[in-house]
Amino acid sequence: MEAITTVPASQEDLYRDAAEKYGASLERLAAAYEADPEKRRDLSQDIHFQLWRSFQRYNARCSLRTWVYRVAHHVAVSYVMRQSRVFSTLVSLEELEMLPDGVDGQLAANRRMNLQRLSALIQKLKPLDRQVIVCYLEDMDAASIAEITGLSPANVAMRIHRIKNVLAKRFHEGGSYGG
Amino acid sequence: MADELPGSPKTIWQDQTLEVPAMTMERLRQKAREVHAKTRRELFGNTAAALIAVAISGFGILRGPGGWLRLAFVLALAWALAGQFFLHRGMWSVPSPADAGLTTGLEFYRLEIKRRRNLFGRVLRWSFGPVVLSIGALILVLTGFAQSRGISITAVLPFCIAFAVWIIAALVLRARAWRELRRELEELDTAGRAG
Repeated sequence: MEAITTVPASQEDLYRDAAEKYGASLERLAAAYEADPEKRRDLSQDIHFQLWRSFQRYNARCSLRTWVYRVAHHVAVSYVMRQSRVFSTLVSLEELEMLPDGVDGQLAANRRMNLQRLSALIQKLKPLDRQVIVCYLEDMDAASIAEITGLSPANVAMRIHRIKNVLAKRFHEGGSYGG
Repeated sequence: MADELPGSPKTIWQDQTLEVPAMTMERLRQKAREVHAKTRRELFGNTAAALIAVAISGFGILRGPGGWLRLAFVLALAWALAGQFFLHRGMWSVPSPADAGLTTGLEFYRLEIKRRRNLFGRVLRWSFGPVVLSIGALILVLTGFAQSRGISITAVLPFCIAFAVWIIAALVLRARAWRELRRELEELDTAGRAG
């Protein structure tokens, strides 16, 4: 878990610090919630705007990273919830494990294709599972993911186990994933 | 760790090239102005149903027959006006994502679903209800008008059928969305209980 560090003074300083450290991660997070590049840009700008606003209230009771990811996921969840018929199109991790892949191994060897498949797979997931998988792909440990999502570390570990199974099944079968 | 091999999902995910937007302070302030303008537009959009109910009820009170039909129009008018208050009352106390940095993803998601579910109920009660009552009363006025002039009742039948279909479709869609939200809430409660 990331340590809580001494905070810079102003809202602008905090925002600049966060944007510099997590800007690329936030773009990937936006990509996990919106496939269309134009809409993704809007979502990304919303995330940055809400993050900037949020630093008026930041009091270092959690680490900067936890704060940034929480606010960013909250914005993205609100964005997903505004879409109509959202729940009938999204699946849980358990349901995802059951779904057939439907892509042949030759195609899966292509790196760009793999990114598209990975993004499509993430965008199918319900918000809470999506938060877990995005944090997992950003290389966070179970305790950090638990702090962001509010699930227990054991619950997060169980979900990560499922995520690994799904990823191994879908990417190993394509010949490009060794995990 | 196997995950960190080239071509692993983590590497694929972290290596993707995405344009990071240059969010200057001026752009953020511009975004704030855009958000305020959007909120005003949404607020105006939310009053559209009430305006329809008020317009129809006003017409019915002034030009319609007396008796219980006028009472129905008065009721629809009062309902629509009161609805504007009750519909918007809870809207401004909702925490925005920026205010919820200390709230976990699970809790925020649960609050979002509850808020949405409550909004569905409020819209049905305070926006859809007065519109249905005012249009229903208007149909009765038009039917009476047609009968008094010896025009066949079938002349207003298509309008009545369209009105009934609209009410049923709206209720079915709302009920389906409401059930989905309830199911999602139950799943979250299960996840929350699991820790």
